[in-house]
Amino acid sequence: MNIQFKKGVLELCVLSLLTKRDFYGYELVEYISQHVDISDGTIYPLLRRFRVDGYVTTYLQESQEGPPRKYYKIKEDGRQAFKELLEEWEEFTARVNEIIRGDLNE
Amino acid sequence: MNREKFIEQLRDGLSGLPESEIADILYDYNEHFEIGSSKGKTQEEIALELGNPQTIAKSYRVNAKITKAEKNPSPSNLIKALLAAMTLGFFNLIFVLGPFLGVIGLLFGLYGISIGFVAGGMGSILSTLAAPFFSGIHIGVHPITSISIGTGLTALGVLLLIGSFYLTKFLYQLTLKYLRWNLDVITK
Repeated sequence: MNIQFKKGVLELCVLSLLTKRDFYGYELVEYISQHVDISDGTIYPLLRRFRVDGYVTTYLQESQEGPPRKYYKIKEDGRQAFKELLEEWEEFTARVNEIIRGDLNE
Repeated sequence: MNREKFIEQLRDGLSGLPESEIADILYDYNEHFEIGSSKGKTQEEIALELGNPQTIAKSYRVNAKITKAEKNPSPSNLIKALLAAMTLGFFNLIFVLGPFLGVIGLLFGLYGISIGFVAGGMGSILSTLAAPFFSGIHIGVHPITSISIGTGLTALGVLLLIGSFYLTKFLYQLTLKYLRWNLDVITK
């Protein structure tokens, strides 16, 4: 898979997961790298930017094992950004599908 | 590379950022190492999966510079963000730098034209008004013509000036967006 494609979509994937429930960083990294081949280290800078931009907030929660975990929770701005990205993505894939699945009428 | 080495290289790469921010960033990676270890991965495996700590540090630094240029818009902050982005090896930036400088030149030109129009217009109005007081000066056109041309020219100049101002703002945002986009694409 093309690397540029993967990076562009990473933002959409992370926001999408966060609309479903709160995640801690490791979980997000683990989940995403099961599906797409990226360096685990790319997710944390993205999460930090989301926080600076007000898309997510963080809170610490104790866990049974190891240190307290930093959870990421999506905010309204983040949901809005997700909605916009999703629309762009769907439009993009629809257009590509039109080309690859459609008949060639010249 | 073990955890200690990874964190050390990351911290070195982050120097220059506020201390609290560095601590916050390092927390994420320390947490990542601890959770990974508790799942039975070795430190070396975790470090390898994370990627190059120096590259990771650079992407934080560029991100911080872009955010700063967004929050406090100024030419020097924009240039700092551009330079930081170049250290990440954005080769396409070189291809973009030419057109970018061209656009900057165009903007300067637009400002020049606007100011020229305003100055010309004002000059036309003022000289028409001043002409009666200087018997030696003769203006070849009717005062109403020269005043209306002056007013029109001034108004056009002001409009162009406002337009150039918005265009500058728009291009500023566009440049930052472009840098962001590069950052998202290349950090592997």
